[in-house]
Amino acid sequence: MSTSIYERLGGEAAVDAAVDIFYRKVLADERISSFFDDVDMDRQRGKQKAFLTFAFGGPNAYAGKDMRAAHARMHLTEQHFDAVMENLGATLTELGVPADLIGEAAAIALSVKGDIVSR
Amino acid sequence: MLRFEGKDYPVEDGESVLDCLLRHGEQVSSLCRSGACQSCLLKASAGALPAVAQLGLKDAWKQQGFFLACVCRPREDLLLERCTAAASHSSQVQRVMALAPNVVSVRLARPAGFDFRAGQFVQLSRPSDGLMRAYSIASLPSEDELELHVALLSNGKMSGWLREAVGQNVSLRGPFGECFYQEGEPDRPLVLAGTGTGLAPLVGVLRTAAQHGHRGEISLFHGSPQLSGIYLRSELEALTESLPSLRLFGSLLSGSESELGAQGRWQFELAPLEQVVFSRHPKLDAHRLFVCGQPTLVQLLRKRAYLAGASLSRIHCDAFAAPHSA
Repeated sequence: MSTSIYERLGGEAAVDAAVDIFYRKVLADERISSFFDDVDMDRQRGKQKAFLTFAFGGPNAYAGKDMRAAHARMHLTEQHFDAVMENLGATLTELGVPADLIGEAAAIALSVKGDIVSR
Repeated sequence: MLRFEGKDYPVEDGESVLDCLLRHGEQVSSLCRSGACQSCLLKASAGALPAVAQLGLKDAWKQQGFFLACVCRPREDLLLERCTAAASHSSQVQRVMALAPNVVSVRLARPAGFDFRAGQFVQLSRPSDGLMRAYSIASLPSEDELELHVALLSNGKMSGWLREAVGQNVSLRGPFGECFYQEGEPDRPLVLAGTGTGLAPLVGVLRTAAQHGHRGEISLFHGSPQLSGIYLRSELEALTESLPSLRLFGSLLSGSESELGAQGRWQFELAPLEQVVFSRHPKLDAHRLFVCGQPTLVQLLRKRAYLAGASLSRIHCDAFAAPHSA
């Protein structure tokens, strides 16, 4: 049994290294920035940290039902989802994460696509 | 359900604790209604609070259950009490002096036992009717008086009263906020940006930095529609004596050729504040920032500072929200 990428990347420290890079990327990405442009930046950063922890296969409180409810009213499209995936990949590449681990993180994030994208 | 002074009030979906109490006819003070001014502080003695309702409060207060009613949308029942922890201090207006065409400095006697850091804010209220406003403290704790900068607004109830209030008693609650100089990092570059009387907390930070012999580069950016609103110019120039690395910038929205460019130690530009700041500081990853003044501008500067690499924990904001008109 293999350990999670979360552990292989270095646990919470890895998420901390990634969260600001990722949050800055999505905030600057005009396709999706409006979804991340929250007056309460600390709370929004916390959400990104939870998302990354989840994508790394780490301990998290993301549950399918909450995830659906939380994203339903945003009416997200496949293009929005793909933009987030791109930024996730770019973040991990920037951190020098090997391609196979990036692939694993992407696969975890993809597994909830059905809960995020509307219809 | 909210239980408040022996009565139960059902909360509507998405309603804040403040709105619920006001809807039921309870008297709860509030100003900004956006989680900034802390006027609506209440205490929950039972029930879990959403984290956002305690954002920016000091840890000791969080542990005691204090929270901001205006941004608290409860997910479970709360047992509420009025806030008595933020002790009230009485003071008296000593002097009022003009700083700019529509800004005065109001100096108050410093109440005994009132501890604060320059740049924090207080809630000042008029004893006769409880009218309340928040003001930042520009003076140092070592002084006998508290210096507040008050914008004179047309029809401003408090500002209209304060400008004539020498000798009057006022009561103060606080101090609140995190806009103050951080000791222990004398070489860190600092960026201070504000509009209007948002200068007051920034002056507090600068005076403290001077007192501590700060060595890192400091840039102060003050924004105003015109040159006459850039106040305390010579006093800030004098601060460069003890802070040789201090640079002073004014952002104006209108001005003649002769008012722009270098003026003494100041540099004036006809450009929006964010442009003046970020043209000089495209990268802020090593900096600590203090951003004060008009709320939408504060939010914009905070976001751009973050995108320029600043850590959120090193961006200190103070949004001067106008009183919410009912």
